[in-house]
Amino acid sequence: MSSATRARGAHGYASPYAAGAGLGVVLLASYILAGRGIGATGAFAVVAANTMNAASPAVVQSNAWLAERATGPILRDWLVVEIIGVVIGGFISAALAGRLQLGVDRGPRLGVAPRIAIAALGGAIMGFGAVFARGCTSGQALTGGALLSAGSWLFVLGAFGAGYLTMFFARRAWT
Amino acid sequence: MIAPFTDSSVVVAAIVGIGFGFALERAGLGNAPKLAGQFTLTDFTVFKVMFTAIVIAMLGAFWASRLGLLDLARVYVPETFLAPQLVGGAVFGVGFALAGLCPGTSCVSAATGRGDGLAVVLGFLAGVGGTASMLPLLQSFYLSTPRGTLLLPDVLGVPYGVVVLAVVAIAGAGFAIAERIEMHAARRKA
Amino acid sequence: MSSRAIVAGVVALLAAGAAFVGSPEPHAGSRANIRALADEIEHESDHVTALELAEWIRQRRPGLRVVDVRPDSEYAAYHIPTAERIPLATLATTSFDPRSTVVLYSEGGAHAAQGWVLLRTAGVRNVFFLRGGILDWMDDVMNPAASSDLTRYFGGTARTNAVPLPGGATQVVARMRRRSC
Repeated sequence: MSSATRARGAHGYASPYAAGAGLGVVLLASYILAGRGIGATGAFAVVAANTMNAASPAVVQSNAWLAERATGPILRDWLVVEIIGVVIGGFISAALAGRLQLGVDRGPRLGVAPRIAIAALGGAIMGFGAVFARGCTSGQALTGGALLSAGSWLFVLGAFGAGYLTMFFARRAWT
Repeated sequence: MIAPFTDSSVVVAAIVGIGFGFALERAGLGNAPKLAGQFTLTDFTVFKVMFTAIVIAMLGAFWASRLGLLDLARVYVPETFLAPQLVGGAVFGVGFALAGLCPGTSCVSAATGRGDGLAVVLGFLAGVGGTASMLPLLQSFYLSTPRGTLLLPDVLGVPYGVVVLAVVAIAGAGFAIAERIEMHAARRKA
Repeated sequence: MSSRAIVAGVVALLAAGAAFVGSPEPHAGSRANIRALADEIEHESDHVTALELAEWIRQRRPGLRVVDVRPDSEYAAYHIPTAERIPLATLATTSFDPRSTVVLYSEGGAHAAQGWVLLRTAGVRNVFFLRGGILDWMDDVMNPAASSDLTRYFGGTARTNAVPLPGGATQVVARMRRRSC
């Protein structure tokens, strides 16, 4: 197999090193232009806080964490705009590569409904972890990691350690 | 004027986000089974993308600062909370292995039409909101072991640049091992 | 030589260079840096007065960190409210959040001013020292000639400098202390 074929995955994906380098340049550009890195959790936090505030202001106003994130228009928030950019960027890349497709990605042994349920559950569990960790793989592992923040690297250790352990028990969902 | 130049312009946020999402999808990280392959030790794309990105951004930031082009002191570094970040990270890892997507990649997955991506997005949103509502009860753990801005060089007592070299070395070794493992898995499948 | 090998080589070189160089700070001993520091000192943007610091503390200025560089025993006897103790030796290797405002103080200001130079050289941006140190704090905030609301806020009292005169009477003398840097 030539190195070119080995570099591109079966679906025509870019080399992970090339994509990673591109991501690294984007992250560096963020440090330089904005004095901060990328993130995702914060955007979700702002959306959650504002949504909850609209539904039940009493809960939000009596909760410092939520109240702090329910101030001001959502679209002025740096991370919210950034995450909208992520959606757009992902869409453009998939469109260019012919990878746009309605469907549900899942392991070979999992039906659609169980997959959706587990995905939502996994998402909720990540939400719990991300609040305490002050971020996720984007804000902590990538952004904090590249800046050598100790807590960010602790996050990486915890996340990947637990991830491998979990997969030991949950591998039937994917294989 | 030395960088960083602005710290809140949403135009930069949009450009950075688009680049971020584009790079993730290019690598195939909008596809949950591919991501999950990291944890089943069959596909190391997650590790390769993450650590290449970290190495590039880390070296870039170091040298931009050293050459006087970037004022690192004005770049926001997340604060460290030892216990919450380790435990929160572990809990996050459990969800990550189950979902096969992280918050960022779930947005990419959803953007390309995947229902499971959307499920992770909504689940994460609910998880964050729900956890936040419970924070008053878990406040003492949430605020425990604060260390402010704490960098690895200070923790390890070695110069910043030495940690940079160590991270690059670990990434390099990791890449070599990953290629080996992937090659074995491919050979076994063939 | 494949392009991947070239990139790997460049990365390895940059990483090795980083380890050799050690710190990401622009070369500390360079002339440009020393000149910049000298400028700050001359323009007096390196220190704050006791009244300014008192006002910052009262307003709970976000990110304010008041640092006492005196020995433990002196800190224990009295320290400026909200102050934390960091000796000079540890000061230079302490990381400060770039968004925080650090104010160093010592007894008269000399050690704090030296600490200022150390921190600025280490790359900390928002750092000041308290001009006149604890002595000025006492003179202007805790025990001033005329009580101000800052004095009351910190629980101090106005000064009475009663100088005993022959015959048993006392005379209040305004105490003068030369203030300069």
